[in-house]
Parts: sequence; C-alpha cells; structure tokens
Amino acid sequence: MLLLFLPLFLILIMIGLPVIFALLASPFALIMLEGDQRNVVAGLYRNLYSGMDSFPLMALPFFMLAGEIMNRGGITTRLVEFSQAFMGHLRGGLAHVNILSSMLFAGLSGSAVADTSALGSTLIPAMEKNGYTRKFAAAITAASSVIGPIIPPSGIMIIYAYVMGESVAALFLAGIVPGIMVGLGLMVMVRVLADKYDLPKAERIVQRDQKISKVEYWVSFALIRLNIAGLLMAIYAGMSTRIGLSVLDENGDRVHSVSLWIVFVVTYLIAHALMMYYRGQVSADFRMVCKKAVAPLQTPVIILGGILVGVFTPTEASAVAVAYALIVSFFVLRSMKVRDLSGILTRSALATSAVLLLVGAAVAFKTVVSLSYAPQILSDAILGLSDNPLILLFLINILLFVVGMFLDAGPAIIILGPILGPIFVDLGVHTVHFAIIMSVNLTVGLATPPMGLVLFVASTVSGEKVETIARAILPFLAVEVFVIFLITYIPEISMTVPYLTGFLGCGEDIGFQACINPSPALN
Amino acid sequence: MPVLLAAIGLAALYVVMFAIGGNEDLRDPLLGIDGLLLIHAAMTVFVVIVLIRPVASIAAHAALNTAIHRVGQTIAIIALAVMVGFILLQVYFRYVQGDALNWTEEAARFGMLWMTGLMAPIAYRKGGFVAIDMLERAIAPRAAALLTLLLMGISLWVLLICFDRGWNNHVDSLSGRGASASLRLPLDWFGGERMKFRNNWQYASIFVGVMLMIVVSVELLLRQIVTLMGRGDTLPPISHEEFVGAD
Repeated sequence: MLLLFLPLFLILIMIGLPVIFALLASPFALIMLEGDQRNVVAGLYRNLYSGMDSFPLMALPFFMLAGEIMNRGGITTRLVEFSQAFMGHLRGGLAHVNILSSMLFAGLSGSAVADTSALGSTLIPAMEKNGYTRKFAAAITAASSVIGPIIPPSGIMIIYAYVMGESVAALFLAGIVPGIMVGLGLMVMVRVLADKYDLPKAERIVQRDQKISKVEYWVSFALIRLNIAGLLMAIYAGMSTRIGLSVLDENGDRVHSVSLWIVFVVTYLIAHALMMYYRGQVSADFRMVCKKAVAPLQTPVIILGGILVGVFTPTEASAVAVAYALIVSFFVLRSMKVRDLSGILTRSALATSAVLLLVGAAVAFKTVVSLSYAPQILSDAILGLSDNPLILLFLINILLFVVGMFLDAGPAIIILGPILGPIFVDLGVHTVHFAIIMSVNLTVGLATPPMGLVLFVASTVSGEKVETIARAILPFLAVEVFVIFLITYIPEISMTVPYLTGFLGCGEDIGFQACINPSPALN
Repeated sequence: MPVLLAAIGLAALYVVMFAIGGNEDLRDPLLGIDGLLLIHAAMTVFVVIVLIRPVASIAAHAALNTAIHRVGQTIAIIALAVMVGFILLQVYFRYVQGDALNWTEEAARFGMLWMTGLMAPIAYRKGGFVAIDMLERAIAPRAAALLTLLLMGISLWVLLICFDRGWNNHVDSLSGRGASASLRLPLDWFGGERMKFRNNWQYASIFVGVMLMIVVSVELLLRQIVTLMGRGDTLPPISHEEFVGAD
C-alpha cells in the first residue's frame, strides 16, 4: 500500500498541487488509509519540524540576504564594468561581458534567479543598444545565470548537502571547476555564433574618469595586495616542507623555521612589487575600474577562504558575508540607506521561508521513502536496465534533465536525492560526484522550457516572450548539456579541488583515483 | 470600519475553533459546556456567515490576514537580523574572546523557525509556493477553476492534519513541555531568576505558521468559489510579489 505513495505524489504535483503540500498529502493519505491514525502521521509532522530545525540550513537565508544586499548596494554595476574592461573588446563583446559578470556574481550569490534579474536589468538594455537582438541578449543572460548556483556559494548545494548528509564545503569546492567550465563553454559558443549572427564587435569599454572615495581607494589598495600575499603564503605553506623551511613534528603539525609573520611581510612586499609592475602596463581608467571591483569581489574570498582554512563553518561564513556586504554597501560604496534594509530583509525572509518549509516537508517525505522500500524496488528496476554505471549515469542524466524541465532545481533535488543517491553510491559513484552531477543538471534545468524559472525571469526583465527566448537559448543549452556529460564521465573535473583541499575525507594513504572512484557499495 | 469589525469577529471565531478544536483535552467538557458542541456551534456560525455574505467574508479574511501578516513580517525580519547578529557574535566570541558561547546556535535556530513560521503564510498567500501549473494552463478555464478549487481543498486538508498533530503530538507533548539545554530567559538582568526556555516555545513557531496558513487557505478557497460563481471581478486582488532566488 505504502508503495503507492510515489505514484500518488507524482499525480498530485502534475495536477498542480504546491510541492510542499504534495510531499505531505500523499503519505498522509496512504497512512490514514492503512488505518494508522495517530503515530506515523504525528511522526511525519515532527519530521517536518525537525527537518527545518537545522544549523547548516541557516546558510540559506544568510546567503540569500548577502546576495540581496550586494545587488541593492550597486555591486552588480561594478562587476559589469569590471567585466567590460576585460572582455568588451572581443567579438560579441557584451555577450562575453554578460557571461563573465555571471561567473563573478556567482561567487557572491547562490541563486540563478537573483543572477538573472540583477544582470538582466542592466545588461539586456545595454546589449540591445549595441545592436544585439533582444532575444539573444535575454537568452545569453538566462543561459549564463545558470552558473550562479554551480560556483559557490550555492543554495541548492546547501539543500542537497543537508538532505543527504554531505559536507557543504566539499560540494562548494567541487562546484568551482564545473562552473568555470560552463562559463568558458558559453564563451566559445558566443564566439562560434558571432560569425553566424554577425555579432557586433565592441571596443574595449572602459568607463572614463571614474571617481573613487579616499576610503575605498586605500581599502582596495590594501585588500588586493592582501589577496595576492595570501595566495603566495598558501603556496609557501604547501612548498615549505619540500624546500626545507619547515618540518612535521610527531603530531603531524607543521613547524616553520621562519616566523610566518616575516613570511607575510615578505609576500606582502612581493605582492606590492607585482602590483606596481602591473600598474605601469595598463591605463589609468582600467586601473580605476579594477580598483572599484576589489571590495565587492572579496566576498568569495572570505567565504571560500574562511571555509578552506577552517576558520568558519559555511553557515558562519554566510553570516560573515552578510556583515561584509553591509560594511561595503554602507561605508565603502555608500550606496545603501538604512531604510532599504527592511525591504531587503523582507524579500530574503519571504523567499527562504518557502524553501525552508519545502525542506522540512522533504525530510518528512524522506522517512516515508525509506519506510516504503521504494528505493530498493526502484534500484532493482534501474539495475535491471543495466549494471554498467556509465550507461546508468547516462540514463539518469536524461531523467534529471527531463525532470528539470518541469520542476525547479530545489524541489527536484529534495525529491530525487534520497531516491537516486543511494543507488549510485552502491554502484561506486562517489557521493560528492553524484551530488555535483545532480546539482549541475537540475540547475541547467532552470533554463529549459517549458518550466524554467530563469526563463520566466529573463522574460519579465527583457519583455521578450518566453517561447522566443526558449528557442534562442538552444545553442547555449547544448553547451551546458555537453559540460554535464563531461562532468559525469570525468570525475576528476569536479573532484580534484575538494580532494586536494582534503574535504573528501580520504586519508593520505588512499590515492586520488581510489578516493574518487570508491569500490561499489563501500561508501 | 464594518470590515474591521467583521475581521475582529472573524478572529474571535477562529480563536474559538483553533483553541478548542485543536486541543484534545479541551474537546471534553469545558466550563460545563461540551467542547465539541462549542466548536460545532462556532463552525456553523462561520459557515452560515460565509454562505450569506461571501464577498464580505472574503474582505474580512483579507483584512484579518493583512493585519496578522504585517505584524508577522515585522517580527520575522527582526528575527532574521538578530540571527545574523547571533552567528557573528558566535564567531567573535570564539576567536576574539577565546570563549565560545553555548547559546548562540540554538538561539539563531529559534529565530529561523519563527521567521519561517511567520513568513511562510505570507509567501503562500502571495503565490510563492512552487507548483507545476502546466495542466491548469492547458485545460479550459472553467475546468481549471474547478481543479484549482480541488487543489486548494487538498492543501487545506493537509494543513488541518498538521494542525491537529502539531498541537497534540508536538507542542503539547512530553518533549514540548521539556526545557531547552542552553537557552535561558535572562530574568536575572531584572533581579529575577534565569528561566529555562521551554521546547514548545520553539515548537510553536511552525504550529503558528500552520494556523496562519489555514486562515490564508480559507481565504483563497472562498475567493476561488466566488470566482467560480462568476463574481471574481468584485474581489480586490492580492498583490503578487516577484519571488527572488527560490530556485
């Protein structure tokens, strides 16, 4: 009897019941039909509650809030100007600018929809003015904003990690390279299309005579050198044992023979020298645009740096990102007023409350999934098709893609994760690898017709019809599908970064290949 | 003014229905009156009013919901701001003071749950719950309206079950009456004694959310019925906001 809950659930969401209620309605109905009026249903309600009562999930509202603050605080404009200075001179310049801006914005926000509405409202009119068709502008905005939840931070990865009990940090790190690959792939496609559509060639657009406040000048001056010094110090820390400047003591801790403060001062001076050299190579306007992007772009540095060094948990990193965004908007850019805050808080709270309730309902649903033997039966059915993981991964990608066409990424991941995850883990696919396949695939689904959230937002922002954008986006979707298959079949793409930073939980004695390709049914 | 009075009357009806209807202990004789009788009386009054004056009762629901949501939204955004503050405090005390606080995490979760409980009804009313509306758009308008009515009925049924289980098996349960391990009400600041938070102060968040969603659900259901009767144009629209980042 309980087995019927999955078909019932599918029917309910297909006829349009909000997913939250469908997740609860199907188990409620079947359990009550079976005659259990009290305890199991009560247990489901308790799981709905305790599913939301979680510290890792708190990163969701915080990242949403940080993204909203940065969007309102004028940080988007700065990123666009910065991208223009770098990519504007290429064939199809503004399309490249759009993609690069999306990649940078992805490091600040964890949501594709925020990305589309923030960048679309500035870039689509600009592209139209420069001779692009509106549908092309809207399509490239929608296609590139998919990068938002792939490059960390990422809302759907937080949800996946929570529902499946994975490490948020590992998923974040695994998303970096795939996100960059999607961006580069889109840029190649723009270059290919540039000849076909005869896209305009833009001059390198560097905003002239930009002004910058004294405070921001010195903050950026110090921060950019600090970033480079930090990078150099990380390299030094990795190399020091090999070049004899540090030894490992019996506890496995590194003992440096040169004080790290001295190393810091030296690297800072090297960074300064590098910057002074670079300064001579570029124009004053270009320098100014770059300088204005330094403060906004510290957010990904703080988030990833903090998580990597182990200073904070992802949730704490998200709170620090909120504080940083507030400081930058109020004191450095001076672009926000106190009265803007209530609107920003309301929008973040509104969006996250619906998602949190969905996660709670999914946790309740998940208990029924495991009670009903559905994963075992489905797993037998899937394994009956083939026992070759490569073929199954191909099939599952198609399934995910189709689901992504109809359902948003968050709900889809919540529903399918608990069902599909265990099957592939049994087949010897690393949990983090499978998480990335699912996240990237369903995120791309946000831009696929007929039900693509990002398409709808792009349509609202541009005023172009959804169907028109959906046709114009096809070449870019092809690129994204290609990247999905690359990630699926070459686990090294996503797994190298988390492995090297030690977030996969493999000991030193287990090699890279053994770590990312665990033997079946072992992890 | 009449809308305000109607909203207050409606609120009173809901309080009776929720307070007695949800609580198993109170369904038994209360103040000498049979609890079940009382709730049935309240529900009858409610249904009769709705039947006689459907449009006016929708206006009263709208006024009631708007008023509750305005208060809820204010509390929720304060909760969100305070959550950020608590987590920053946690980081600050751990690194700068070298003395990690034990209550910040639980307090922030307390805030998050209340934020969800108070904001989710607003999101529901403004159409922020994800649904696949392809079928509704594909079929004839009249059939679509009937389908919507059915879906709203199912939603209300789910919420009513959550309401029943939420009170009797969660808020008003053994663990709900238990005390929090780390949260204390700092009454010693005012010369009193530090008081432990009870678990059901936190449990109540989602329960309150469910109750508010029931009221929203009834409003949406009534609107749909009136629309089906062909009088949808007399209803004031509910403002739909752009939902950001709910992917």
